[in-house]
Amino acid sequence: METNQNTEVLCLEGLKKSFGDLLVLDNIDLRVTKGETIVILGASGSGKSTMLRCVNFMEVPSGGRIILHGEQVGKENQNGSRTYDEKSLSDLRSRVGMVFQHFNLFPHMTVKQNVMEGPRTVLKCDQAECERRAKLYLDKVGLGWKADAWPSELSGGQQQRVAIARALAMEPDIMLFDEATSALDPELVGEVLETMKQLAEEGMTMLIVTHELGFAYTVADRVLFLSKGKILEQGAPEAVLINPKEEATKNFLRGHGSFRLPEPNLD
Amino acid sequence: MDYQWDFSAVVTYWPVLLVGLKNTIILAAVCLVLGLFFGLFVGAARYSSNRLVNWPATAFVEVFRNTPVLVQIMWFYFAFPIISPIEVNAFTAATLGLTLNTVAFSSEIYRAGIQSISKGQWEAAKALGMTYTEQMRRIILPQAIRRMVPAFTNRAVELVKMTSLASVIAYGELMHQAKTISIIAFNPIEMYTSVAIIFFVLIAPLSLLVQRLEMKKRKSS
Ligand SMILES: Nc1ncnc2c1ncn2[C@@H]1O[C@H](COP(=O)(O)OP(=O)(O)O)[C@@H](O)[C@H]1O
Ligand SMILES: [Mg+2]
Repeated sequence: METNQNTEVLCLEGLKKSFGDLLVLDNIDLRVTKGETIVILGASGSGKSTMLRCVNFMEVPSGGRIILHGEQVGKENQNGSRTYDEKSLSDLRSRVGMVFQHFNLFPHMTVKQNVMEGPRTVLKCDQAECERRAKLYLDKVGLGWKADAWPSELSGGQQQRVAIARALAMEPDIMLFDEATSALDPELVGEVLETMKQLAEEGMTMLIVTHELGFAYTVADRVLFLSKGKILEQGAPEAVLINPKEEATKNFLRGHGSFRLPEPNLD
Repeated sequence: MDYQWDFSAVVTYWPVLLVGLKNTIILAAVCLVLGLFFGLFVGAARYSSNRLVNWPATAFVEVFRNTPVLVQIMWFYFAFPIISPIEVNAFTAATLGLTLNTVAFSSEIYRAGIQSISKGQWEAAKALGMTYTEQMRRIILPQAIRRMVPAFTNRAVELVKMTSLASVIAYGELMHQAKTISIIAFNPIEMYTSVAIIFFVLIAPLSLLVQRLEMKKRKSS
């Protein structure tokens, strides 16, 4: 049981990314075990999005290794650099779910078609299997009753939950959330965080970039603080959010004054 | 003002006009289908980041957008046969001129239509694991083509009008037939009036469709 829980889903070793002369990620090391929920914090421009986008190769890393379920992505060349063919990258992406700030639902498809699109086009599932997954994952995010609606008919919160269902329908090994609630009206944030919390409780492995510190505190197993492309500080939520060691982390937390610790649990 | 209108020759030569109408429609339809088909590839080439691909495509588009169609048709009829291995009759020359013109314009419509789709759509499709072709075919083109329909219909209108230029190389479309009859029957006034009416009846519904589509597009965006 113990060994099973410690299965490593994702491993980043010395991950580097630069855009031209700008070094955005500087030697990131990270091991993510199955079922772990990791929240990534950091000021704007610190490289949070780039880090997530390297995991599924939306951005191709400039250096370092990315290992998903023990398999390293890409082929090694003679000189040690790596090449990545489209087939192996799309295969990797089909095993990593991603949820975007702006949902990016496909507006020409109904809610159900949105969820079925990945299984159908990428995994080549048959119609019955596509339908089964659409029903299962739309129910999971509480939107089974909206299956035949168009994305434009939904609230922002509902659209984001459909986007989560669309990613889940691929039955990925890990889910990435890049500021999934930042574009939402305040009253719609809760329903999306609730869905994410439920996924965490069901044992989904997740990397979450968010500014919702209360959520980070209650849901994360581990919190990373990213600064200038490095993991400056990491640990249990209590450690990073309440007793940060680094000055930059303290400053960042001070800038998010609305964060309130939950009442102590007395049972 | 005391001109005596006499449309009797129009009635007499009606079958000749009908042949012209048929040829007009054939020329327009062939050029439209070929133009839209190859326009997609030229549009994709112009969208490519590879300079060896996008530079020739851009040059092609600029040449055809910046020269008169009449000159293009004349060129394909008189100059092209010198370098062409196949025989170039009036239909071939007109088809080449009008098709390549349509390719040039429609490639721009494709390009603009594809670029109007937000980056997030590409990203979402890519993140699901779709290959470039799948992203294009399943996500981008279905949305882009919807936005392109008014512009394409507009192109069809222009194309039908441009077919009349093929009369200068004696292709037997509506205008050429009318010219022929008017010489035989000495009635250019009635002949060209009739041709104008026939073109109007042919084109007006298309124009109306363009307006409808554009209104719908404005409402939906
Ligand atoms: N495609 C890109 N091209 C050039 N620079 C980029 C690109 N994407 C991100 N950057 C730069 O990388 C840095 C980190 O960006 P990002 O990862 O989006 O930060 P965060 O998500 O933490 O706000 C920023 O300075 C940003 O301008
Ligand atoms: Mg970001």
